[in-house]
Amino acid sequence: MGADSIAVNRIRNILLVTVPPDPEDETITVLQEKVLKAMSRHDAKGVILDISVVETLDSFFARTISETSQMVELMGGRTIVSGMQANVAITATQLGLTLDNIRTALDVDIALNLLENMD
Amino acid sequence: MLNDAAVEIIIRVEGDIVLVRKKIREAAGFAGFGGTDITRIVTAASELARNIFKYAGKGTVRCTRVENGSRQGLTIVFKDQGPGISDVTRAMQAGYTTSNGLGMGLPGSRRLMDEMHIESAPGEGTTVVVSKWLK
Repeated sequence: MGADSIAVNRIRNILLVTVPPDPEDETITVLQEKVLKAMSRHDAKGVILDISVVETLDSFFARTISETSQMVELMGGRTIVSGMQANVAITATQLGLTLDNIRTALDVDIALNLLENMD
Repeated sequence: MLNDAAVEIIIRVEGDIVLVRKKIREAAGFAGFGGTDITRIVTAASELARNIFKYAGKGTVRCTRVENGSRQGLTIVFKDQGPGISDVTRAMQAGYTTSNGLGMGLPGSRRLMDEMHIESAPGEGTTVVVSKWLK
């Protein structure tokens, strides 16, 4: 899945990023850059990373998500990872990924509510 | 050994890791594994294939269906001619890394699979063999 397929959409003052099902490392890196650029351009208060179609979450992917979350936080925003599939959650935990400091939500709708009510 | 469904992927560029995930996902489904086990196998394969790319630059991934007595499963061999691992025991410890990674690739993959064997010596490359058995 190429880097061109990543879209960062703005809903009010929140950025919604739908992560493709099986991204290359390069694509994940591009995603991080796009999110951070969009943060400053749109004066966004938060980012939702929707991973509901992601089938494999390995350590590189997890580390980039953690990093992105920290960077967004430095810019004054919050990140919520939404929609992790059950298989992915089981595997990520057994692999040893803790996703420390990452907020999660079952779906985009819940994530939107969380961000709207956050100060 | 059932070699009828052998799949071999050569790793040369980063994008080949995606190809490994795709081919291993197909092979695991074809072998009869369920959704969660497929995700476990593919995730372990992704970690081990990335290790090849990261440490050796190139190598091969070979996946075969296996039969051992009454058990059936999948064995995947990750082979490279890279620098090798000087201390395999230490490399299996969570958090130990010689790159800037998280150091969970090897121990984490071991937990996701049923078996893992590593053969490696400095300067002689690394071979990692993992297996998962159908329940």
